Amino acid sequence: MGFELRDHTADIAVSATGDSLESVFAAVADGLAAASCDEIPAETGDRFSLSVTAERREALLFDYLDELIYLRDTRAELPADHRVDSIAGPASADGSSADGKPDDWHLEASARGVPLAAVDAREVKAVTYSEMRLERVGKGEPGSWEAYVVFDV
Amino acid sequence: MTTFDANGITLERVREHVWEIPQEGDMRVPARVLASEALLEEIKEDKSLEQITNTTHLPGITNHAICMPDTHQGYGFPVGGVGALDAEDGCISPGAVGYDINCGVRMMRTNLTYDEIQGREEELVDSLFANIPSGLGGGGIVEPGIDAVDEILARGVDWALENGHAVEEDLRHCEDEGMREGADPEKVSQKAKDRGKNQIGSLGSGNHFLEVQRVTDVFDAGVGEAYGLEEDQIVVLIHCGSRGLGHQTCNDYLRKIEQQHKGLLDQLPDKELAAAPAGSQLAEDYYGAMNAAINFAWVNRQLIMHRTRRVFERVFDRSWESMDMHLLYDVAHNIAKKETHTVGEDGEERELYVHRKGATRAFPAGHPEVPKAYRDVGQPVIIPGSMGAGSYVLRGGENSMDLTFGSTAHGAGRLMSRTQAKNEYWGGDVQQDLEDQQAIYVKAQSGATIAEEAPGVYKDVDEVVRVSDELGIGDKVARTFPVCNIKG
Repeated sequence: MGFELRDHTADIAVSATGDSLESVFAAVADGLAAASCDEIPAETGDRFSLSVTAERREALLFDYLDELIYLRDTRAELPADHRVDSIAGPASADGSSADGKPDDWHLEASARGVPLAAVDAREVKAVTYSEMRLERVGKGEPGSWEAYVVFDV
Repeated sequence: MTTFDANGITLERVREHVWEIPQEGDMRVPARVLASEALLEEIKEDKSLEQITNTTHLPGITNHAICMPDTHQGYGFPVGGVGALDAEDGCISPGAVGYDINCGVRMMRTNLTYDEIQGREEELVDSLFANIPSGLGGGGIVEPGIDAVDEILARGVDWALENGHAVEEDLRHCEDEGMREGADPEKVSQKAKDRGKNQIGSLGSGNHFLEVQRVTDVFDAGVGEAYGLEEDQIVVLIHCGSRGLGHQTCNDYLRKIEQQHKGLLDQLPDKELAAAPAGSQLAEDYYGAMNAAINFAWVNRQLIMHRTRRVFERVFDRSWESMDMHLLYDVAHNIAKKETHTVGEDGEERELYVHRKGATRAFPAGHPEVPKAYRDVGQPVIIPGSMGAGSYVLRGGENSMDLTFGSTAHGAGRLMSRTQAKNEYWGGDVQQDLEDQQAIYVKAQSGATIAEEAPGVYKDVDEVVRVSDELGIGDKVARTFPVCNIKG
């Protein structure tokens, strides 16, 4: 459960597991924060909410991470301590449908915004689709969702 | 036939430093790797060869997909990759340009000599670090309103000139005179502009840096003279790109392609190669947005260069003009440009989107797109090394049009992952060693960045340049060595 930073020649990859889609999304986001900063102070910064919609499950993960990077730059805060409160998909689909509608998948999340001035952080430029994986590997048990995401540094 | 086994991928030797992965399966053309066997031994250790093979699946790819000598694994397209895609019935790929659109380097000359700054290095590095924004959230040199961002996107360095951040001569020593035709600010999203507006005139972090260097060798006196370079001279090298504006633009278009051209995307072995078909509205829109982001990056480097002039004025108590601080040249590393090239055995002229990702344009002497100032000798190419090794100035070689669509390498190329680098090096030690052993003064926002960018994580830049020179795609002109380095 949680995430690990993985080797990549030029960039950084995050490998994450969770017992639900919500927890694996939050674990990847925590990996993004860890890739940006070695020591994140525990109490600094206020929580903020965000919501994201996309046409597929993987696209939702991509857009969620893209939104966090956007919010980092425009709020001048490093988003940390991620919570994904809910992820809702189309009632009948398993999320892998190729031609989903733009709002088929919806995510509600929050994060603590640590002021960039308070941390020794470096810039992760972007989330990439390269080698991205988001898979269910079991049902309900710990570690039943796995994700792998490469970030451009 | 001589072959090289790269962990299951067989490369066939075409001639010295030219290797080919033959066309098979869904590959549309063969892939080529321009490298010595020593460099191949390093290249084969990551996914570079798999990635360049994937690139050959792009529609309209012409002749070969090509790895430059400094190639390493990227995302989708390898870093150090060149792919020329037909502009009529091929495609344009935001993923093959990369996130940091027009990441690049520029070199500024001075008439100072190394003797004149010895003893002043700490003062200089401190002043540069204090005055040039770097790292995450450090702001920019200017913080314009959104209208000014649109102007920057449309006009490039011409905006900087009008607003007192450039002189006329700067435009004449930049590719396209610092302004891409066809830039369309309306095709850059509001999100991208929001990210960019607080970052105009900032280095960022990662491998971006500003370095004061001394010229240690001039290998070609004639070309060196044309470039205004001589031994012992101080120069300044600036490496950065289009910041969050470019990163966001790339992602915006990757997602649009996913939604609008899924049929093409499904044919590609790596989703990060996402491409818009030539002639489609999205291809036009992306080209307009990318050109706008190119302008943004040029202004970014221009503002940093002009601020550097002011820093030198304060430290050396003289006007920058009296120190002859002029732009030598500015090259882009992550870019797709519509160019006309002669292809095929019958010498047909075709318009191509030449994608250079972690590769540098290297047009030879006489080419009409080389700025007039350098047309007789060839386009300057600037190859930064690591902060503990030399950098090089090359000139576009006469074989570059035939071998590489007028391209060569862009740097040393990474060898070691960032995570491994942080395990092997400690930033403070690296910084101290550089100062004690090589008189290189480094200052960074983050010790982790120094560890991740330690000289040992890069390939041997000398070998990369040797191969470029021997192939005649980029000829050695001069070598420089770091004196002061600031980074994010």
